[in-house]
Amino acid sequence: MIAENQSLKDLQMQMLAWLQVHDKTIKSSVTGTEKVPADIRLDIYANAYRYRLIEALEETFPAVNTLLGDEAFFKLGLGYVDAHPSQHFSIRYFGQHLSYFLASDKSYREQPVLSEMAHFEWLLREAFDAAGDQRLTLEILQQIAPENWPALQFSFHPSVYRIDLSYNVPQLWQAIEHQQEPIDIVAQEYPQAWFIWRRELKTYYRSMDVDEAWAMDAMLKGENFALICAGVCEWVDEQNAAMRVAGFIQNWLSEGILSSIKPRKIS
Amino acid sequence: MTNLSNQNKYPYLGFGLGLRKEHYQDVLDSQPAVDWFEVLTENYLIDGGKPLYFLNRIAERYPVVMHGVSMNIGNTEPLDKDYLSRLKKLKNSINAHWLSDHLCWTGTNGTNAHDLLPLPYTQESINHVVQRIEQVQDFLGCRMLIENVSSYISYVQSEMPEWEFLNEIAQRADCLLLLDINNIYVSAVNHEFDPLNYLQAINPQRVQQFHLAGHSDYGDYIIDTHDEPVCRAVWELYAQAVARFGETTFMIERDANIPPLAELLDELSLARSIAAIVQQQGYHKDTIQVMLDSIPVQKVIPTEQEKMAI
Ligand SMILES: [Fe+2]
Repeated sequence: MIAENQSLKDLQMQMLAWLQVHDKTIKSSVTGTEKVPADIRLDIYANAYRYRLIEALEETFPAVNTLLGDEAFFKLGLGYVDAHPSQHFSIRYFGQHLSYFLASDKSYREQPVLSEMAHFEWLLREAFDAAGDQRLTLEILQQIAPENWPALQFSFHPSVYRIDLSYNVPQLWQAIEHQQEPIDIVAQEYPQAWFIWRRELKTYYRSMDVDEAWAMDAMLKGENFALICAGVCEWVDEQNAAMRVAGFIQNWLSEGILSSIKPRKIS
Repeated sequence: MTNLSNQNKYPYLGFGLGLRKEHYQDVLDSQPAVDWFEVLTENYLIDGGKPLYFLNRIAERYPVVMHGVSMNIGNTEPLDKDYLSRLKKLKNSINAHWLSDHLCWTGTNGTNAHDLLPLPYTQESINHVVQRIEQVQDFLGCRMLIENVSSYISYVQSEMPEWEFLNEIAQRADCLLLLDINNIYVSAVNHEFDPLNYLQAINPQRVQQFHLAGHSDYGDYIIDTHDEPVCRAVWELYAQAVARFGETTFMIERDANIPPLAELLDELSLARSIAAIVQQQGYHKDTIQVMLDSIPVQKVIPTEQEKMAI
């Protein structure tokens, strides 16, 4: 059975093929004029398709753009548009695979700092419009009876994102963002743990020691306080572990990145 | 037909502007004399953060209307139910007076081209779009507005002019029209028809809102860029539109090369003056010409490289 809208369907597929792979089948359905031939008319759409999407990448990834330079970034955009056509109703999500593309495409994978920067900028974007949530307060924590602490689980604010970086990406980003003197790209001996979050309307990021990062990752997975203390023993003496984790929690409270606890049993 | 029984248009909202992030703080601080704001729907279909913060505050102080680009009403795949649910939720949360999207398609086969692609003006397209608008209106429980787009191609399949296409869809789907005066002008130049014929053909009972915007004139054709002030020819056409359609909710779209708010407020004042004069005295070409003497006639002569960059 032929659908009632079959010819419209065909026409749309032809137009999409024109935009994406310059398939010229659509041309037989387009009328040109003496002043403006069909080719020029179709080019307007083909160009607009790419330019609009690349513009969206420029907006989301200004530091990747600076690292590459405008011309190379545009070329990256062209490759990315073809490899990862937008599938979301909002253009805001178009760049979601750029970090992956940079890490896997043969033109870019030899420069891993590019993929890391794209990942970092993408997470800044994610934190920027993540959901709001309540903030856990010290008062609530102080009401937890000591015997309830071992089973306690913590939830983080939805804007919290973890990232491990092998290059000095946040420093590079900051120099670019504040238009400071360009700094050198430096590979770290070991990947450095970072996290990104938003407080009110501002986005922040900071680095962490390896045990703090481990504790945050474990908490994000839903592990309880007792298990996290046990895990931190890999880096500190057993008798200091609870103090160490309590110290992390205190920092996170003041940074506003914890939102709730479970089970919320109050003594 | 949808069973939305109310035949009336929505109440008139006056002279508005598009809400842009560059002006968020200024709008809250200076509370400018703008009657209402049109907000770009997709910018606020997010979970939280700065855009929603400002939208909520501005929506407490001004009437707002939602204008979207992703309904993809002309697409031949099923409507995106998730998108429509988010639309409905946002509309309720900010108390939007109405919502609009474009009479076009924006992608197919799972791909979003993020462009307003024209439909062929055929009975097949009409039947298709009418039942889709009905579905949307049934889901939202309100009438929507559809907007005419700027176009650069016409299809050999088309069986009628754009204005007949628009009228029939509005009538049969029982929806309202957002008439973009700039888009009419742009398409008139690109397809070599008289924009006045377009205006005269549109059914006034369906026209709820006007858009005005700037464009880039390349001589033989015009690109709808929304990055310039409204040009003289479009203001003239606006005056003719007021003469034909009377008091109509109005706004100016500016999406790139965003100027200070004050500059847009000046354009809004000009729109108010033109509307007032035409409504009092009718359309008199000479009167309008004098009012428009401050508006530059602009033409961009593109280099080859720029021509590629559109
Ligand atoms: Fe418009």
